[in-house]
Amino acid sequence: MSAIQIRGLGLVSSYGMGVACAVEGMRAARTGITPLTLFSLPFQDQIQVNQFDHAPFPPGAAGATAVIEAAVQEALTEAQLTRNGLQDAALVLGTSSFLFAGEAEYRHRLAATGQAVMPVVSPPGQVALRVAADLGIEGPVLTLTTACSSSANALLVAAGLLRRGEARRALVIGIEGLSTIALNGFHSLMLLDPEGCRPFDAQRRGMQLGEAAGAVLLEAGDDAHGDRLLGGANLCDTHHMTSATPDGSAMRSVMEMALADAGLQPADVALIKAHGTGSLDNDTAEAAALRTLFGTELPPFTGIKRYLGHTLGACGAVELAAFLGCLRAGFVPPAAGFSRPDPALQIQPLTEFRPAPTGAVMLNFFGFGGNYASLLIAHD
Amino acid sequence: MHKNSYSRPVYIHAAAALGPHGDSTRSERRVLHGDPPPLELKELVKTIVGAPLRQASHLVELAAIGSQLCLKRLPYAVPENTALYLGTGLAEVRKNEAVFRQVMPPGPGMASPFDFINAANNMAAFYVAKLGGLRARNLTVTQAELSFEWALHLAAADLRSGEYRQALVGGVDENSHPRANHLRRITLRPDQPMGEGCGWLVLSVAAEQACGELLEVRHLARGTDLVPALHAALAAWRRPDEPLTLLPGFCIEPAESARLAQALPELQVQDYLTLCGGFHSAAAFGLAAVFDAPAAAGLYVHLNRDLTGHVMLTGVRVLPP
Repeated sequence: MSAIQIRGLGLVSSYGMGVACAVEGMRAARTGITPLTLFSLPFQDQIQVNQFDHAPFPPGAAGATAVIEAAVQEALTEAQLTRNGLQDAALVLGTSSFLFAGEAEYRHRLAATGQAVMPVVSPPGQVALRVAADLGIEGPVLTLTTACSSSANALLVAAGLLRRGEARRALVIGIEGLSTIALNGFHSLMLLDPEGCRPFDAQRRGMQLGEAAGAVLLEAGDDAHGDRLLGGANLCDTHHMTSATPDGSAMRSVMEMALADAGLQPADVALIKAHGTGSLDNDTAEAAALRTLFGTELPPFTGIKRYLGHTLGACGAVELAAFLGCLRAGFVPPAAGFSRPDPALQIQPLTEFRPAPTGAVMLNFFGFGGNYASLLIAHD
Repeated sequence: MHKNSYSRPVYIHAAAALGPHGDSTRSERRVLHGDPPPLELKELVKTIVGAPLRQASHLVELAAIGSQLCLKRLPYAVPENTALYLGTGLAEVRKNEAVFRQVMPPGPGMASPFDFINAANNMAAFYVAKLGGLRARNLTVTQAELSFEWALHLAAADLRSGEYRQALVGGVDENSHPRANHLRRITLRPDQPMGEGCGWLVLSVAAEQACGELLEVRHLARGTDLVPALHAALAAWRRPDEPLTLLPGFCIEPAESARLAQALPELQVQDYLTLCGGFHSAAAFGLAAVFDAPAAAGLYVHLNRDLTGHVMLTGVRVLPP
């Protein structure tokens, strides 16, 4: 696809408010792991999470909208736009669901009234409409819910809207909150690593969940400089609801499709941000895909979920904002949590900081329901 | 880099609509006089899909049956490289509620792994892809009352741009009993039955073997006057003397449909919501059901609006057999 300009980034994460907070934390090799204070869990196992400071935001479901708007404001500030500049913009939101907001509302009402009333979980589309109305956006408003690839797909859909001239700008948002439901659910699937995320490590046992909101402001334009979304792809791996085709062929396919969409060859890729959840299945399949696609020319790759946590449906926008922030600051963070190579994978991620390269950067996002997305960006 | 015209025609090769009685043909359709009773789909799943879907949710069952009916009506085997777009306003209502009750007090505190997996809003699209053998783009759109229209719009755009040659597009939503519980999630008039069901279309860039044509899914800004907007759309879409039917969506008030019919006397209004009830993606049912055999050739215009005022106009032509 024709390149899309990345004009603004915004982030609320366990490092604090702003992309710069996350970049400085990652530059200092400090993970954003925090104690879980939002609620207690019904199981005793110790787990690692990435929780942001909720104090600046209203309690309950309204907090989710406020977090989104904080991330959006940062992206607009970078793009030197006010809300008046968004009338002909599109808004595309990606999230796995808003169960976390329903849960927050339930806790809020329980604390306020002592009554345990099951709240209505706002469908994600209504949240997107509310945010769009607050921002004065009159263009298309869309919500993608494709599990952990949700906001990566939102970036692709937004790029399509811009390419077709359906909007002048597009605001892409990824949002996810920590919830008992998600922590409990992934725990029941034995997919949480009590040691935290160890991407591609021989001892990896699963994920480390996090919460965050990311905002990315995109514009159509012919400028061949600056930060750009070069292309991307999405496909469905129908092997299993929760695990990838073991030989990585479906993941390889989506990466190949993304390269073709961007008009690139594997040799053009200078750096890869892997999905790298730290789960046995995902990392095995992703490693196989990288190995077979790039062969001996595999560029350096890293994973950043030890820093930010796995922010599920938000990770497309959140990791793009944080990773591009690092590249702009001149460095590539190593795959924190990795220490022991897994001989079965035959490849290993970065273990030391590197200067940010020029050239194309691949970002992978893989979700439940076999929903995969791969993006190519350029950073000058 | 795409070299697109964005004007390539998009044809409809197959359609299927599944209603709240498990109805999927014109002769099976029944007007609702009140809320439909809870729909049990296990047997229909076995009949249509050919095997039980043991761990699947009700929403997944609806989507699986509807999509398989649609693909069975296709006069050829669906290619693996067919993109899938699914619109759902509320997605997994029942599974989300089940997981919530399991995990939150006073529930037992632990989530059933299968309920947790099925609570993922894209699981219906996964099952549809798996059953259909589709390994291509797979997007679940949850955009309130316009979920199906946006799914259809994205599919048409990807076909017109040449990214895909074929797409399966659906809309699905489930209800939850009792009505008072369901009304916490959806706005229905007192006289409007709460519906559920799905509708599916196979879209293609190939004219051969087409039963219809998707003309456009047009997004109108909030506050747009519908009469001139409809005139403008018809000027672009309608052939001379072509029969014209308006399909009002579930957020369109009867008085508004009447006003449009008065402004455009040649317009026939068809209230498909009496057959399927009100649900966010009912447009999928309405647009797919116009292809129920024997289908009446002509231009069908679907009109819908979300609660914030965004309007979508969809033009579909049913071709003569």
